[in-house]
Amino acid sequence: MRRTITLASGFLFLVLLIVGWQQSLRPEPHPLTPQLTGQVEYCLTCHADLPEISPSHPVETFGCVRCHGGERLALDADLAHSTMRGGANPSDLSVVEQSCGGSKCHSGDEAAARDHIQRVRTSVQATYTGAITNIRYTFGAQPDLSPIMGIHAVDDEKTATGIAALSAFDPSMETNPALEQFAQNCLTCHLYAEPREGDAYTRFTGCAACHTPTRDFPSSSGEKKAKTVHTLTTEIAYTQCNACHNRGNYDLRTMTFVPREDVPTDRIHNYYQPIAQFTQCEWTLDCIDCHTREEAMGDGDIHGSQADMQYVQCKTCHGTITELPKTKTLTDPDDIAFRMALLNPVIDLKLGDTIIVTEQGEPLWNTRMLPDGNFELFGKATGQRFLFRPVMGTSCEQKPDEQASRYCHECHAVER
Amino acid sequence: MRHNFFYHLHPPTIPKKQARFRYTLGAGGLAVFLSLILLVTGILEMFFYVPAVEQAAESVQTIAYLVPYGDLIRNLHFWAAQFLLVVSGVHLLRVIFTGAYTPPRHLNTLIGLGLGITVVLMDFTGYILRWDEGIFWALVTGTNLVKTIPLIGNTIYRILVGGVQPGSATLIRFYAWHIFGLTLVSVVLGVWHIFRVRRDGGIAAPPTSQRESRKRIPRHTLIQREVLAMLLAGSALLILSIFSPAPIAAPIITGTSNQGETLAPWFFLWIQQLLKFGDPFLWGVLVPSVILIIFGLTPYIFPSVDDSELGRWFPAGNRVAQVSTGLIVVFMIVLTLLALLSPET
Repeated sequence: MRRTITLASGFLFLVLLIVGWQQSLRPEPHPLTPQLTGQVEYCLTCHADLPEISPSHPVETFGCVRCHGGERLALDADLAHSTMRGGANPSDLSVVEQSCGGSKCHSGDEAAARDHIQRVRTSVQATYTGAITNIRYTFGAQPDLSPIMGIHAVDDEKTATGIAALSAFDPSMETNPALEQFAQNCLTCHLYAEPREGDAYTRFTGCAACHTPTRDFPSSSGEKKAKTVHTLTTEIAYTQCNACHNRGNYDLRTMTFVPREDVPTDRIHNYYQPIAQFTQCEWTLDCIDCHTREEAMGDGDIHGSQADMQYVQCKTCHGTITELPKTKTLTDPDDIAFRMALLNPVIDLKLGDTIIVTEQGEPLWNTRMLPDGNFELFGKATGQRFLFRPVMGTSCEQKPDEQASRYCHECHAVER
Repeated sequence: MRHNFFYHLHPPTIPKKQARFRYTLGAGGLAVFLSLILLVTGILEMFFYVPAVEQAAESVQTIAYLVPYGDLIRNLHFWAAQFLLVVSGVHLLRVIFTGAYTPPRHLNTLIGLGLGITVVLMDFTGYILRWDEGIFWALVTGTNLVKTIPLIGNTIYRILVGGVQPGSATLIRFYAWHIFGLTLVSVVLGVWHIFRVRRDGGIAAPPTSQRESRKRIPRHTLIQREVLAMLLAGSALLILSIFSPAPIAAPIITGTSNQGETLAPWFFLWIQQLLKFGDPFLWGVLVPSVILIIFGLTPYIFPSVDDSELGRWFPAGNRVAQVSTGLIVVFMIVLTLLALLSPET
């Protein structure tokens, strides 16, 4: 009996050694108490090597849980991640209000242009209402082209466009089979949707669709910048826009997507599909160098289609033969142009600088008028400096009422 | 040591035949050992556990992940509790299948059954204290069963839950029951139970004249065996605690519709399965109560075992009790398996 007890004691001792060994394997908890939440979180125990998401969201201030959710105390991956908002992507539009919202964050004051979430929700990139309206009208599901449906129901009581609300497009309520086809094959190009399968289409949903690069991109340092998943940036290269745009076409007869077939290797061939016509600035610049925040992210009103939303034209920067582009001299240090330039410092804007403003008053903060009356523009993604001059005073023969790009392309299109 | 109170509870000698593991299954002794483990680990957990709805699950996470050896303590508490249920059940079955409930041990059988109920309630309340998504069934369906009792159901529910629906009052009440009320009851019943074992003449055995052998084992041999059992049980608990941690889930967020876990705790799975048969009062309250009453009345309604037949398994004198208990146990096991296998739970 004594021998058995000795053996059993030895066994218990062995088990205790295993207990000690197992406890020694546990990672040293890495606490962080972000200033915004004041609640300790231990995510960095495992995620210490994750790069900071952006200079605007320092981890000491925000931590992880404020945006991502999750169990801040759990050191078990399954439990810690079980309550994360939107999985790996808290900016998914289904959870963005909890993740990125808040009056001091991105659902703030409209006047200060801090109402990003409300603007994005009502933007055509989120509602996709133009496509839905056109297809429903084409197949007789609605009598005219008035926008009545979007991907999700949205409303805007203070609308300036006359569209106060959109109801949710529900394919199961449609009788025409073409509309079901459309729903199955064509509803991947809006901010709520997961993209089509394939490297070329890779992007996240919600804010991250644009603000998190999913492919290597040309950067302001002149070198190629490698994508890092944990990134939010306003340095958005055309390559990111191309995850949706210029990737192919929809065939209305079969209601399917036809991917572009060329295999471009350089910028000029990659930028647009082979059939496209464009001028030099349309491929040397990035999309966001000309297209504004309100065009891309919405202006807070519900619009019927992309055509209603997109307003920047060649003349925005170049003027016409009778008019110079609209400009504005920066006299207010709180001008939004300075905030934009601070987020993506490709230009050293100073008080007293004169920048171009769009027809709707949005600042093209990456431009500046030079003393000789010409302009400079800095690529938001490339940092590259471009010089350009107004049309007025040149030999351009444009008609003042023909300002769509196709009229400019007649003379200025690039051959590739 | 000789005049220690411990010796009032611990027998000096035991008939050799009845001291064998194959007769006792060590169940009573293990129950004592597991209770002590539960007491010690439970006290340690109390230093970190916060019985408030907003903080309970987070404090459990703190114990599980951040307190040094906290996970070990919590896992030991969990596994000791599960084993205590099993060991208590085995002990009850041993008593019935050996006819040991025969007078004069009928009162102690009832005390033991009371202890068993206390153990189930301890497990149930301890389970609720996690206050995470894993306890959803127990918190909602389990407590709602009480409401189905005619006339007094709603009153009992209000007393248990502390309101019209589970909330902070529920948590603090379950905490009070777990830490204080039920612990007090189990200590009183437990000491009484062990004391009565000695008062009733020690372990059930035939009168001395009718024994095959008069050999008895001395106290120190018994203690050796108990130490061995504790070493082995302790090792088993530690191994399980290392390799199979106690369940944990995300906190219950008040006001969300997240249903969380829909499976009952394993010891109530058979009741969850019964509930699928229909009327919740009939199947969820009445049937389990009848089973409990049958166990409670076993010494009174089933024939007693003749003295000469005591101290061995399956005496001929109480076949009816053996068969009916066997049927009940098979019924409960089958229901539990059905609940585990059924797709909707």
